[in-house]
Amino acid sequence: MNKMDSAVPGEQNVSYRQIGKPRTRIDSPGKVFGKTPYAGDYVMPNMLHAKVLRSKLPSARMTRLDVSKARDLPGVACVLTYKDLKIGTVATDIPAQTGFRRRDTDQQILVDEIVRYQGEPIALVAAESVEIAEHALSLIEVELEPVPGVYDVFEAQKPDAPKVFGDDNIVASYKVRKGDVEAGFAAAETIVENTFRTQYIEHAFLEPEVGLGWEDEQGVINIRTSTQAVETFRYIADAIGIPHSKVRIRGALVGGGFGGKCDVTVELYIALLTLKTGRPVRLGYTREDSFYGHGKRHPFIISHKTGFAKDGRITASKIDITSESGPYAFMSPYVLMYATEAGPGPYLVDNVHIDSRSVATNNMYTSAFRGFGATQACIAYEQQMDEAAKVLGMDPIELRRINLLKTGDAIATGFEVQSAVWTEECMDRAWAALGEKPKDEGAIRYGHGIAAYQQGYGRMIWLHDTAEGWVGVEMDGTVVVRSGMTDIGAGQTSSLAQIAGELLGVDMMDITVYNSDSSTTPLAGTSSATRGLYMSGNAVRNAATAVRNRLAARAAQHFGVADSDIDFADSRVFVASDREKSLPFKELIATCASEGIHRSELAIFRAPFGDWIDPETGQGQVHPDYTYGAHAVQVAVDTETGEVTILKSVGAHDVGQCVNIAAVEGQIEGGVAQGHGYALSEELIYKDGCLVTPSLSEYLCPTSMDSPRIECIILESRSGLGPFGAKGIGEPGHTPAASAVANAVADAIGARVHDFPLTPEKIARAVSATRDNG
Amino acid sequence: MYANFDLLVPDELDQALTMIGGAKTAEDCAPLGGGTNLVVDMRASGKAPAALVSVARLPGLRGITIAEGTVTLGAATTVSDLLRDPRMLEVGAAMVDGSRVFAGQMVRNTATVAGNICCGSPAADLVPPLLALGASVTLRSAGGERTVPLDEYFTGYKTSVRRPDELLTSISWPVPAENSASRFYKLGRRKGDAITMVGVSVLVGMKDGVCSEVRIALGAVGPCVFRAKTAETVLKGKAPSPELVEQAARKAMEEAAPIDDVRATGAYRKQQVQVLVRRLLNQTIESLS
Ligand SMILES: Cc1cc2nc3c(=O)[nH]c(=O)nc-3n(C[C@H](O)[C@H](O)[C@H](O)COP(=O)(O)OP(=O)(O)OC[C@H]3O[C@@H](n4cnc5c(N)ncnc54)[C@H](O)[C@@H]3O)c2cc1C
Repeated sequence: MNKMDSAVPGEQNVSYRQIGKPRTRIDSPGKVFGKTPYAGDYVMPNMLHAKVLRSKLPSARMTRLDVSKARDLPGVACVLTYKDLKIGTVATDIPAQTGFRRRDTDQQILVDEIVRYQGEPIALVAAESVEIAEHALSLIEVELEPVPGVYDVFEAQKPDAPKVFGDDNIVASYKVRKGDVEAGFAAAETIVENTFRTQYIEHAFLEPEVGLGWEDEQGVINIRTSTQAVETFRYIADAIGIPHSKVRIRGALVGGGFGGKCDVTVELYIALLTLKTGRPVRLGYTREDSFYGHGKRHPFIISHKTGFAKDGRITASKIDITSESGPYAFMSPYVLMYATEAGPGPYLVDNVHIDSRSVATNNMYTSAFRGFGATQACIAYEQQMDEAAKVLGMDPIELRRINLLKTGDAIATGFEVQSAVWTEECMDRAWAALGEKPKDEGAIRYGHGIAAYQQGYGRMIWLHDTAEGWVGVEMDGTVVVRSGMTDIGAGQTSSLAQIAGELLGVDMMDITVYNSDSSTTPLAGTSSATRGLYMSGNAVRNAATAVRNRLAARAAQHFGVADSDIDFADSRVFVASDREKSLPFKELIATCASEGIHRSELAIFRAPFGDWIDPETGQGQVHPDYTYGAHAVQVAVDTETGEVTILKSVGAHDVGQCVNIAAVEGQIEGGVAQGHGYALSEELIYKDGCLVTPSLSEYLCPTSMDSPRIECIILESRSGLGPFGAKGIGEPGHTPAASAVANAVADAIGARVHDFPLTPEKIARAVSATRDNG
Repeated sequence: MYANFDLLVPDELDQALTMIGGAKTAEDCAPLGGGTNLVVDMRASGKAPAALVSVARLPGLRGITIAEGTVTLGAATTVSDLLRDPRMLEVGAAMVDGSRVFAGQMVRNTATVAGNICCGSPAADLVPPLLALGASVTLRSAGGERTVPLDEYFTGYKTSVRRPDELLTSISWPVPAENSASRFYKLGRRKGDAITMVGVSVLVGMKDGVCSEVRIALGAVGPCVFRAKTAETVLKGKAPSPELVEQAARKAMEEAAPIDDVRATGAYRKQQVQVLVRRLLNQTIESLS
């Protein structure tokens, strides 16, 4: 199944024994046997229970706040309002590795006067029980006077609109100017214009936000939580006014995040209450709290105007992008950057003109969500390609084939991608896997849809991303890996074990990985931006390689051969050219230990560093590298009711080098299921800023009954920048899935629904509109 | 989020009736079936009845009997019980349709048919099939027992003729006549665990070339599940034809009075009543000829 051709040769002296093999993940037994605790399972004697009081209004002025009755309630240990805060604000920026922090985009921790979104926290309570804490919330007297808000991105850009952010409600804006679009349109035979809209969606991770905090004997505020980012300890320390070295965050090994656990949420409230009370504090969100308590996926409105030559070649692409940020910046500028960069898709376009902006409103704030703007861009450019194929009378696969970027081509920002670009092969494989389209029967019509994509992995290069990792060998020949990388389900720790195991010839099951501890594991950055394996994997690879080289040198001396002739496998060290010459690994270790040879290494990996792209032209390098692939879907649509059944769903991706097949398939399958829901049923609806879908009963994620078997086709160009040539797959599996569903539905009904999600009602309406038009 | 209540688990029916006998309102004391409605509501509202009386251990209340031309379900019978009984296809095909699309496996294993009726939801999926099958319910209190046609049971949105001191002990319907067929279709926003946007059930019996029996029940398009009786009369006693089916479907649509909500607009629901009534009538009639 795996294509093993490589564009770049693999490592010298490494024949993959564990990498890419269908091995059980090291974190699986703990999960299967119920030994892996959720973050919510951690408790402590004498602990307090916390609750958050939130604003019911989306835009208001607080005229009165009286917590005296709540404070007087027996069993209440602490009630905090803005008046009790030393600092008052907290960063909303990416917790990057450089210490740089964006200016002027901090968020108020608790409302001091102005409420900017529904659910904005007003007060924190810690009490002896959850019931008492809840009772205390009901005793807090708050008076909110509604003030006019703005709930639409176009209204928000009008001069007289209420100001939510800065003096123009523009949180960020970018442009791309490449070639000459007007000349491109003049040369076009056909011009196709469409506008696509995407909706607010929720991460709906398995475990809602929860954490336990306590102060230790050194005065360090410890927090155990389910997070993608232990690096937020710095922002928390800044916000509560203590040194960075006095906050320690530890993650859990399960819970899920999908981007929704990158920003600071419960950790900060826990830290404040722990500091204030000196007692352990647990704060666990209910699912409903979680709906109000963290940033959502950005809705986007994307307009494409694309010129095509007679043969189908794209002559020009003009794109206008608007995303909704809500009242605070969070990841909005970066998400917009991704959408802008990905604007024209994985196609070679010489003439590109993009304007983009992220606009503040009083709807819920938005932040990171798997795909980070590149997904919304894909929903627009891939639907646009199918609409264009229809207008041009071309096969959608052939139209793409003519225009796809090839290895070495320049993307929209002018950057020439150095790794393999295998989009075409992925597209053909995914499409072929759908097979024949079934014959329509009665009201049921079948449709096939494809979507190709480009997704950056790693951080934007001006963030100067680094990761550290530590590898050490114990006296018995087992191995320990330490990496700050968080792992709340994706399998990062297991991949690190596999990488260290491959290099040291020790089975991954004999490797223990300590991770996700901001104080004692070397910081590797957040698990986001499809950087987990790329960054932490390279750091651990560097560390393991250094250890391996020292051990190999000593073994070479022992056997009287060159260092390069030494190999490690099955817990033995041996001479590659004469395998009879071998030693148990632990004997070599004993020798090294007695001679003081260093058996461990702390290594750093630096991604490519660079400057911002040119602000006037948008030209330059944004990401270190890109993942490419395609997704294909077969649907059945009931043209009378508008119901959609996804029958087949196939993702084909060039992952560079697959490290763990189960983990890669897990990333693709999970991302695809999320994409199905994105296209068909998931939507957070805000009416004048108020959420009208506040629970999993109104907010509809696909269930197992809605999901077909998802097929994964894994290609390996071995050309990526990750360990052993890996590319990232955390986000990419998700990126094209929703677009492919939309294209399949349009193929089935012969009409396009431009606004996500494609509900039965919208589909039925689109079908009757085509009938009415003849 | 959390509300306190007493959980009473009697193992004799009389005991249970005494326990709920003092209840003046559902806030005092409420019967507990699978809890898949009640517990969810309690969590959402933060309120609970002072006591819940479980039907789980009451002898003889769980099971399906078919005798003397009548199908009887005990109050504790679950949705999964219906799916496990192969006889149901013969005596209540619409109930099987309804059970298959009901919630998901976990909920089906514990949700009771009685609970589905007593929650009073207009979107309850087993109520349209039961109305189409012509079911009645037995209500029992310490003072005695009465049988009410399901058609007369609901009085409005989440209201019914059941008194708080009454337990619904069984549900029954006549075994459908020889040449008859029943169907149910649930239109939802997704396939699993969905709240119905429109639910339609029909039963058609044919005798001597005419529709001797026609019942059409509509869910989620009014304050409670109800029968589209004008639509029924269009076909009743007549030889079926595409025109009559179309006319019945239109009448049913006119009888529907759906609201707009987060799941769908009223206009779409109305249109879908017509689509689905037409479709199910055609399917049942075709299966009989
Ligand atoms: C995830 C999920 C999915 C769902 N999907 C569906 C679906 O697809 N279709 C659907 O119709 N419903 C669905 N429901 C709702 C619910 O499962 C059904 O209505 C179910 O039939 C309720 O039965 P129960 O036994 O759990 O009732 P309970 O929750 O125990 O009780 C419901 C009400 O009936 C009363 N009651 C129960 N038994 C008796 C009795 N014997 N006599 C008098 N009163 C009684 C209770 O006091 C309460 O008021 C779903 C619920 C959940 C949580």
